[in-house]
Amino acid sequence: MRNDARAMSQASRIWGNSSLFLRWIWRFIESWVRRYLSYLVGMLVALSVFSLILLAINLNPLSGLRSIVYGSFGTLFSAGETFVRVTPLLLSTLAFLIAFRGRFLNIGVEGQLNIGALFAFVAASQLGWLPSVFSIPLVMIASALGGVAWLAIPLFMRTKLGINEIFPTVVMNFIAGFIISWLTTGPLKDPLSINPQTIVVPVSTWLPVLIPGTRLHAGLIVSLISALLLYIILNRMVLGYAIRAVGLNPTAARHSGINVNMSIISVGLMSGGLAGLAGMVEVIGTHHLLIQGFSPGFGFQGIAIAALGAFDPLGAIVSSFLFSILLIGGESMQRGAGVPVDMIFILQAVLVFSVLIVDKWITSRREQ
Amino acid sequence: MSEVLTAILSSTFVLSTPILLASLGEIYNERSGVLNLGIEAIISLGGFVGLWIGFQTGSHLVGTIAAMLAGASIALIHGFASIKIGINQLISGLLIITLADGIANFAYSRLPFVPIMTPIQAIRIPLLSDLPVLGSILFQHNIYVYSSFLLALIMGFILYRTTWGLSIRGTGENPEASDAAGINVNRVRFICVALSGVFAGLAGASITLGYIGLYGRGIAAGRGWIAIIVVILSRWSPYRAIFASLLFGFGYALAANLIGVGTGVPYFFLLMLPHILALIVIVFMLRRTRGPAALTIPYKRK
Repeated sequence: MRNDARAMSQASRIWGNSSLFLRWIWRFIESWVRRYLSYLVGMLVALSVFSLILLAINLNPLSGLRSIVYGSFGTLFSAGETFVRVTPLLLSTLAFLIAFRGRFLNIGVEGQLNIGALFAFVAASQLGWLPSVFSIPLVMIASALGGVAWLAIPLFMRTKLGINEIFPTVVMNFIAGFIISWLTTGPLKDPLSINPQTIVVPVSTWLPVLIPGTRLHAGLIVSLISALLLYIILNRMVLGYAIRAVGLNPTAARHSGINVNMSIISVGLMSGGLAGLAGMVEVIGTHHLLIQGFSPGFGFQGIAIAALGAFDPLGAIVSSFLFSILLIGGESMQRGAGVPVDMIFILQAVLVFSVLIVDKWITSRREQ
Repeated sequence: MSEVLTAILSSTFVLSTPILLASLGEIYNERSGVLNLGIEAIISLGGFVGLWIGFQTGSHLVGTIAAMLAGASIALIHGFASIKIGINQLISGLLIITLADGIANFAYSRLPFVPIMTPIQAIRIPLLSDLPVLGSILFQHNIYVYSSFLLALIMGFILYRTTWGLSIRGTGENPEASDAAGINVNRVRFICVALSGVFAGLAGASITLGYIGLYGRGIAAGRGWIAIIVVILSRWSPYRAIFASLLFGFGYALAANLIGVGTGVPYFFLLMLPHILALIVIVFMLRRTRGPAALTIPYKRK
């Protein structure tokens, strides 16, 4: 402190009356460092783990880094793929995030996403006769309803029976996965394909492509709007206030007159709906059909992404972009250099772990 | 028909083994006040490491020990993050899933060979294994099966009848009082977290080395999550965990054997059986349970 003061007085001697301005700059830098130091450290740790892994398998870390950047942004098509991947990641992140903020631990996003995709497929295959303006919103509603339907059982158990939601949501992930596997290999299987997948949905229900020459579809806009809406709901609306109050302390919230069950039901509806939309964008946006195992764990990655973005909807946009770059770059490394894409999952875990640990360490030091 | 029934009952014991082992570690973990949601993936990691090292050394024992060490080291990351630093235990446990699955699958894909081992030989207990029906159901299993049930009894004894067990239960119920009584709360918690990793790793080894002899993605097949449900169902008691694990082992055994028999029911519906059983159990038996009071709350000395 004394050194600060001396520096400050020296500065004021030099700058005259501008010491207030300098102090303001210093404050700004300090808060900026506090806020983003954890991300800087996390990036460095992840980068060193990345280099160590590549060195361990006799590859050059620099060329690995280059192939991640090139794989995710090197061409127009690959940049489009990065944005295509952001869409389901961001939507499932938001699904986990809003529930987490309202103290409902929805680990079942993966299952709700699968059922949402199924509902989207069924709706889209029936609505081919409608113009796109009507059919696409109807498919979206159907998928959101599918996600909500799959979350309804755990939500009911939590609010009416007082059962912790972690276990029913997790168990129902497995059941949803098996249902999709059964349908795509059995009743809904395209008889002409050797792959476990359905027939293509009518072209009129496809989400429009935003940039020709890529697969980038309008789902990205849906996900970005959802993030903005969640931000507004959480920070600018009475409902969001109730959700945050329940998230911080349910007992205190109840005593201040907030209906805790209603708050949990509302986050549950939003969460299930967003998870369903995440399945929808894959069916009518990316693949145009339902494939067994179409989701490489979007629902689970949403948990790490939400934690990386400090459980803030706008933070979720940035961190899902980061995850998407890593995934698309990692997939291109798998094709090119034969490095399994699982390395990316290790990196993601390392990154989020270090960010959370450094962040917690800084805040606990400040409290002391 | 009776042969099918015998096979189902016999494999009930085999398939409840990993669930029981994982739940024993998790019981200690939760009793000391830490929740570890990552054991699903620690089982996979243990299964992979056990098979890999076992294949390299040709010894099931060395593989099993390696699996336990791998489980402990990954669990200690969770311990460091949640006990020492105090980040959200639920999030930390879920990140462990990404990490452990990532490590196991990455290493498996990079191996220049496919590790395959014959599962460890079953031990026929003299005289008892010759009993007409009970013999093949109860007394012709491998060492993992016998030791899991023995370990449940030992772990129960330690938890309820020794001072170690008392200090573990104390740190989970009232860490302040335990600290005042001279117990190092965070050290007890670290030991218990490591223990849960050891047991989850052992559970993984009991799948790959004791049962199928192969590794594949998603080898845990939900057993880690079911082990956590078993913990609650058994009200945090190692003794009752035996019965709860047998219940779910029966679900897996039913699925495994009916697939072999060919019932006309689609394959994927049979795979769903243990999970539907779990859902039913959750609805009817998980109401009004009370866990250790300090579960998921990090302890800081004031």
